[in-house]
Amino acid sequence: MIAAPTLSSAFLDAPGQSLPSPLLKLREQRGKALVDMPLPTRKTENWKYSSRYLKLDEALAKTLPSAGKSGPGLAVAGYHVVFHNGVMVPEASDYPDIAGIEIKRFVDLDDDEARELAERLDNTLDSKAAQMARLNTARFEDGLLIRLQADAVLDQPLYIICETDASSAGTAYPRIYVDAGRHSQITLVEEHITSGSEPAMTNTVTEFALSEGAHVTSVRLSLDGDTVQHIGATGARLHANARFENHTVGFGGPLRRHDLQVRLEGPGAECRLNGVVVTQGKQHYDNHTTIEHVAPHCNSEETYRNIAADESHAIFNGRIHIHPDAQKSNANMSNKNLLLSTGAEIDTKPELEIYADDVKCAHGATVGQLNDESIFYLVSRGIGRQEARALLSMAFINELVEQIPVDSVKDTVQARLNRFFDQTFDEA
Amino acid sequence: MANTDKQVNELIKREYEHGFVTEIEADTFEPGLNEDVIRRLSAIKGEPEFMLEWRLKAYRRWLEMEEPEWAHVHYPKVDYQSISYYSAPKRKEDMPQSLDEVDPELLRTYEKLGIPLHERAALAGVAVDAVFDSVSVATTFKEPLAKAGVIFCSISEAVKEHPELVKKYLGSVVPAGDNYFAGLNAATFSDGTFVYVPKGVRCPMELSTYFRINAANTGQFERTLIIAEAGSYVSYLEGCTAPMRDENQLHAAVVELVALDDAQIKYSTVQNWYPGDENGKGGIYNFVTKRGACIGKNSKISWTQVETGSAITWKYPSCILRGENSVGEFYSVALTNNYQQADTGTKMIHLGKNTSSTIISKGISAGHSSNAYRGLVKFGPGAEGARNFTQCDSLLIGDKSAAHTFPYIESKNKGAMLEHEATTSKVSDEQMFLCRQRGIDPEQAVSMIVNGFCKEVFKELPMEFAVEAGKLLEVSLEGSVG
Amino acid sequence: MLSIKNLHATVEGEEILKGINLEIKAGEVHAIMGPNGSGKSTLSQVLAGNETFTVTEGEVLLDGENLLDLATEERAREGIFLAFQYPVEIPGVSNMQFLRTAVNAQRHHRGEPEMNAAEFMKLARETSKQVDLDPSFLKRGVNEGFSGGEKKRNEILQALLLQPRLAILDETDSGLDIDALKVVADGVNALKSKDRAILMVTHYQRLLNHIVPDFVHVLAGGQIVKSGGRELALELEDRGYSWLGVNEETTAS
Repeated sequence: MIAAPTLSSAFLDAPGQSLPSPLLKLREQRGKALVDMPLPTRKTENWKYSSRYLKLDEALAKTLPSAGKSGPGLAVAGYHVVFHNGVMVPEASDYPDIAGIEIKRFVDLDDDEARELAERLDNTLDSKAAQMARLNTARFEDGLLIRLQADAVLDQPLYIICETDASSAGTAYPRIYVDAGRHSQITLVEEHITSGSEPAMTNTVTEFALSEGAHVTSVRLSLDGDTVQHIGATGARLHANARFENHTVGFGGPLRRHDLQVRLEGPGAECRLNGVVVTQGKQHYDNHTTIEHVAPHCNSEETYRNIAADESHAIFNGRIHIHPDAQKSNANMSNKNLLLSTGAEIDTKPELEIYADDVKCAHGATVGQLNDESIFYLVSRGIGRQEARALLSMAFINELVEQIPVDSVKDTVQARLNRFFDQTFDEA
Repeated sequence: MANTDKQVNELIKREYEHGFVTEIEADTFEPGLNEDVIRRLSAIKGEPEFMLEWRLKAYRRWLEMEEPEWAHVHYPKVDYQSISYYSAPKRKEDMPQSLDEVDPELLRTYEKLGIPLHERAALAGVAVDAVFDSVSVATTFKEPLAKAGVIFCSISEAVKEHPELVKKYLGSVVPAGDNYFAGLNAATFSDGTFVYVPKGVRCPMELSTYFRINAANTGQFERTLIIAEAGSYVSYLEGCTAPMRDENQLHAAVVELVALDDAQIKYSTVQNWYPGDENGKGGIYNFVTKRGACIGKNSKISWTQVETGSAITWKYPSCILRGENSVGEFYSVALTNNYQQADTGTKMIHLGKNTSSTIISKGISAGHSSNAYRGLVKFGPGAEGARNFTQCDSLLIGDKSAAHTFPYIESKNKGAMLEHEATTSKVSDEQMFLCRQRGIDPEQAVSMIVNGFCKEVFKELPMEFAVEAGKLLEVSLEGSVG
Repeated sequence: MLSIKNLHATVEGEEILKGINLEIKAGEVHAIMGPNGSGKSTLSQVLAGNETFTVTEGEVLLDGENLLDLATEERAREGIFLAFQYPVEIPGVSNMQFLRTAVNAQRHHRGEPEMNAAEFMKLARETSKQVDLDPSFLKRGVNEGFSGGEKKRNEILQALLLQPRLAILDETDSGLDIDALKVVADGVNALKSKDRAILMVTHYQRLLNHIVPDFVHVLAGGQIVKSGGRELALELEDRGYSWLGVNEETTAS
């Protein structure tokens, strides 16, 4: 047998940086553990359909330099934090000083804070399933820590703009950790964008720890450029009666991978996970979600919709895992897929793994194309055939877009989707 | 809730009915596997040269293969050198020429199993082939079948009598290198059933094979090949039992079905191998590869299985839908109790235009058992207009059991449509209360509710066997109410 | 026939029945009325043996034997029948199969021979007409996809087939339109006999226009606060419950 390829050691050359020492130590530990890490292949179950898109070339081993400034055109109304190649840019950021809410760069943490954080980083993510997240921990240069004290409420959404500046080859490693105290509330919008057009990679990790009764809404927008591979992981752990909502919207690229892992660890915890993915050309997108029902009386609702056009490839893998003591769990998962062309490919795997008996779990999946009768109906009313297709495709995902709780994001998404369907159906 | 569980657990304590051992003189190979063993096996069976070559090639290939580990089952490594690869009831010389020559002890065994081999007493309209350990001991109703042109015999006989058919089709659906267990089977298969239905013939009766493992430390590696020529129809049923033994025994069968234009094959299985005792000791490892190829246009292959036995089941009866408008069906009830483990499901590979498939899977887990559905539905680029509907339901009985669903769905054709639904639930307290309030025993109530859950599958079984399957379920559930 | 003495019952630690006393004789029809949450449904569930409820005190005698010692199915075989307020669906199990299993379980208990499928089918078809259910319902799963009214009629059908000694009807009138109410009432009236008692649990007296009770009891706060004849129901209809010192909504369920 041929040995599986391993991660190039170039990825593990730690550059100099200014993190506090407990975080440096953590990075070093993770780096050591990654020596000779086998890269995913077709036989790696959770990369089965995606390993062929992953290109971890030597050129990407370089961490992209941050000039401590952001590219142009990043004006956002409202609270926002800007990352440039994984390093926060304070001058471009704007957020209020609210009692009970701390928003801090990793590089600014004192030793005690950093030590505490170092113990908690990666705790929301399964090491095997989100293997590539470990690489982020070994390489991040900075990060954002958001801490909400008990009962603290952030009154407006906080945008975190992560720009990967691909004017040279390399990888950016943004990192976010949110510690939501008892009954606190926050809405976070994470937006990934690109400037420049060299081959680059974004490897990003966001983690949420929700104390009892905390409410976190997270919106994740992946808008990286055509030359950028994107690997992201989001983890959340929920205590009793906490609620986590995630809205993921993704546009395809050379490689797009998002692992979303939610653990319901206290009774009464619940989550809602929504996802929309559209791919065209030769693009790829792969969403892997896991919901762990660890405690009894928890609820989860998950709805993902994929649309694949041209010769693109969209993948969904949703896993619901009910642990032995998680009686009275309710879990529902729905995944619907639209194939707009025969050159395109959809793969989906909705899994249930159940070790408790008093549960109600269901999943449904469909794969299909636009309904001819619906197209005909619209055309008979004088609507052009391509426009009818665009309308119906939009209708397929609109329900989820409408649920995005931040209006400005909803507008952005709708505009991008319109452009996507214009391109898809113009050339058809 | 606690009450239902208690009732359910009290239900599952009847014993395995078919656990007796038949004292019979047998010729059994020393344990172990090498090329000499295969040569001896082939020689004993008087096989032509091509068969030996095929076996040896498969064996060499197998040596390079690795045992699969992806299934959701756990068991200690099997020592393939500790298994005997051939065991046959001792007889004077040749195969018995008629039932009168069959060892009476064997006939009694089959009677105990409820399968009378004497044609007079045989199930009306069902022809039976009985396989005991490594060999076929009797095939009934050969004459009337021959009149219709149907060949129904042991595969050993087919190798000698119909080598051209065997050469053409053996391994054509499940190649020797397909997977680890199929490879082992190709090298070592000792017997099995062969069915050939000529063009345009509707097989005049149900065909059936009963498999029985008797000897200790043997594996059973049977091979079944069914060929349905254009426009023909055949319905085939297999049943399986084994004695109660403390050691695990391996059963690695291969079944290949070939359906040509407009042909239909209905293949039903009632699998009741010894499942091990209530502590998980002993039982059969049932590692089976079953696959049908719908080669012809408008052909149809339908798998119906009721799986209640075996310590571990690893089995995915599949359809390759190559012919235009061909149809694949999979109806399955898999029940696990005590420490049984099952990882079973199907693969529907849609290659041709307008092919369609239906998957109905009902999993029931009781005791400490684990029951997984694993399935693949794949639409290739040529599968324009293809359709699949999948329904996977799991029923849990007792809070120590586990139920899993792992469906893989892959589509490369926009004109193909798929719908997949899955649910998991338990026998509800309210249902139990209603039944008991009407005076029905908790045990009977559970079995009635479980039978109701499986109804969509049972209705696909030939009538006589649907009743049998219902009863089997009842027996297998015993002690699960608690 | 049935004698309830100082019956107390709890669910999840909360006391719902707080000392019920009631005597029912063969041939009698009793109605238990009361505001929502007074414990009416609990009483019927406890008598039928639903193990969600725990009896903490008191006794229930059926012809002098302790009913509370019997398992649910044993009570059923002794002739206790409960028409459910919310009939349960059992997918895949045909009504016919379910009913025949139940009838035969009871016959077996009485030492009578089982009914064969043909005999039973004939009986069930005739009886289904009596409650205005198309015989095709017998082939469908138990209550599977039945409308509310169909479910209630199916309950009465079961009572007619099982011929219980004590039929407890839990809010059997709820959700029925006037025609269906009449059909159900006719079915119940057909059940009346000198060997059998009927206990109706209801919130409204409209059912009592069709099935005339011999006795009416008002249940409130887990106790019977007043008993009387038929006229008591009419008085409740006119005056509500407050004149008895009872709140319309009490806490128990």
